[in-house]
Amino acid sequence: MKRRRFRVRHSVNRPPTPDAADDQQKQPSLHEIINIKMIESGEKERLMELLKERLIDCGWKDEMQNLCRAFIKKEGRNNVTLDELIRAITPKGRASVPDSVKAELLQRIQTFLVSAAL
Amino acid sequence: MSTRKPSFQNPKPCEHLSDFKLKHGLNGFNLIEKYFKTSPNGRLSLNRDESKIPRCHFCSGYQGRLYFCLICSKISCSDSNHALLHTQSENGHAIAMDLERSELYCCVCSDQAYDSDFDRFVICKQIMDLPKSESSKDSIRERPMKKKRLVYGVVGSDLKYSKRLISAKDGRLKSCLPWGLRGLNNLGNTCFMNSVLQALLHTPPFMNYFLSDRHNHMTCRRRSAQGLCLPCDIDVIFSAVFSGERTPYSPAQFLYSWWQHAANLASYEQQDAHEFFVSMLDRIHEREGKATFPHKDDTDCLCIAHRVFSGLLRSDVTCTACGFTSSTYDPCVDISLDLDTSTWCSMDGANMSFKQNESTSISTLLGCLELFTRPERLGSDQKLYCQNCKERQDSLKQMSFKRLPLVLCFHIKRFEHSPIRKMSRKIDRHLQFPFTLDMAPYLSASIVRKRFGNRMFTLDNDYSDAPTEYEIFAVVTHSGMLESGHYVTYVRLKNQWYKCDDAWITEVDEHVVRASQCYLMYYVQKVLVQRASEDLSCLPMSPRHSNVLPIAGCC
Repeated sequence: MKRRRFRVRHSVNRPPTPDAADDQQKQPSLHEIINIKMIESGEKERLMELLKERLIDCGWKDEMQNLCRAFIKKEGRNNVTLDELIRAITPKGRASVPDSVKAELLQRIQTFLVSAAL
Repeated sequence: MSTRKPSFQNPKPCEHLSDFKLKHGLNGFNLIEKYFKTSPNGRLSLNRDESKIPRCHFCSGYQGRLYFCLICSKISCSDSNHALLHTQSENGHAIAMDLERSELYCCVCSDQAYDSDFDRFVICKQIMDLPKSESSKDSIRERPMKKKRLVYGVVGSDLKYSKRLISAKDGRLKSCLPWGLRGLNNLGNTCFMNSVLQALLHTPPFMNYFLSDRHNHMTCRRRSAQGLCLPCDIDVIFSAVFSGERTPYSPAQFLYSWWQHAANLASYEQQDAHEFFVSMLDRIHEREGKATFPHKDDTDCLCIAHRVFSGLLRSDVTCTACGFTSSTYDPCVDISLDLDTSTWCSMDGANMSFKQNESTSISTLLGCLELFTRPERLGSDQKLYCQNCKERQDSLKQMSFKRLPLVLCFHIKRFEHSPIRKMSRKIDRHLQFPFTLDMAPYLSASIVRKRFGNRMFTLDNDYSDAPTEYEIFAVVTHSGMLESGHYVTYVRLKNQWYKCDDAWITEVDEHVVRASQCYLMYYVQKVLVQRASEDLSCLPMSPRHSNVLPIAGCC
């Protein structure tokens, strides 16, 4: 991680090296700020419900269930852990979300940002 | 917990879960009890600190699945095996809980864990949190066991009668077709009637009832003032069709009788088979049910129509603001399903765009049932009054089957009415239907259980051991247009399908039935069929001693 060190003077009373956790909290990314705001206002929960509804309506959830069943059938019911299943399915899931669903959610997030006046 | 299905078994706990239970028992659960929060959609999640969002102990990440250790309360995320890291750094901290879903997770096995005590604990918390009315406990109360046995018991005794009947009539068989198959003449656009009659003539419990002389048209005393009794006319048809005669029969008396009952439909115009079916059951109930069981309502009616076809539907309306759910139960003799015109997103690697591809997706009966039992968000113009909020709110409605009938009749809504264009059209879309059907996932017990996440606990103990497997035995198909079409019934006798096209009965292959455009589908509980075939399997269906003559109108 690059930091500008032009003006730092070496001194005996140098402050202790900050660890990873502190560092991240000092500089929250925009992503984090938006996320926190959305959770606090309850918007995130509403958007999650909307997303779930849309994904069911367009058949995405059924398709994912079929993929899970196929995976478990292939590997054997007792040989699959939850983590392995999630790891196998997630990339396909992310790739197959319909554009219209993405567009609608982005629209909602945009509206939220405008209203939260960030 | 129901363990009736051999194919499904409750998963055994891993050693880590067993260890945890031994050491800590239910302490771990009790400590976190006060942090649980139920959202209106029924989800139970853990919320320790209202001011901060939960973050992973190792990477401060807040995305993905977050696991809460039940021993030290540290949170780990699902990224890069942070949960595994936790259990490696702190020995014995294997069991954690998914924050969002309140489901158990074993960090060592990297897999979901199930415990009935935990599930019970969580579900109780959820039920207590969700607002209820004073009388809501009724919905979970067990019904007296008596009723259940009565329904099944009746059928058993019927079979003994029919066994005797078959052996008596065996000698009169005159052709190669099985006993009980006889063409019905079309008396002027009456294919709607013939098709439903053929299906009913081969509905096992119905057949047994009439063939074992439970309603004898010669000794019947329930005739109305005009001398009308539809069950008598049905009995006449049964006698005629099962007499062994092969020449097509004209159900003129029955038609006349039905016209008397339903004067508005007394014409030679084409009618709807489903309407006819429902009106027939109504008439039977009028004659039999009201007369002999005047104080019982539809749910408890013991007339043959209701005993065979009546089931109970549960309708849950949930307020999206506070989570309050009100349930109502309605009896039904058939289930009208909308076709599931599901729109699939294309799954090819290169193509990630969303397509309205109605032509590539197939409608299936299971898809229609899924659609039927799916929670439906009622529009904002349909806000229902919530008893808890004391005002109209946006609501979710979900249907499920509280009690299944002996015979299921599915009606596919193929006629679409457009109020805008003021016209109706027929939906010719093909529907794929299975020959065996398991209704377990659509029972109220299963549907309600799903609302609480991945659990082993069963709430609804009523009818949870009732049989849910069904076998198809008749399909009424429609071809043609809305105004002018033709009904044909396919019936299955001893694994052979027969096409009943008015007066003509022919043997057909399975694939013909599968390719047909189904309108009404009749499924009977598998246990009834199994029992019947056990009793009757020893009896020969085609006599070896008489002359086998194909007769015009049959083969």
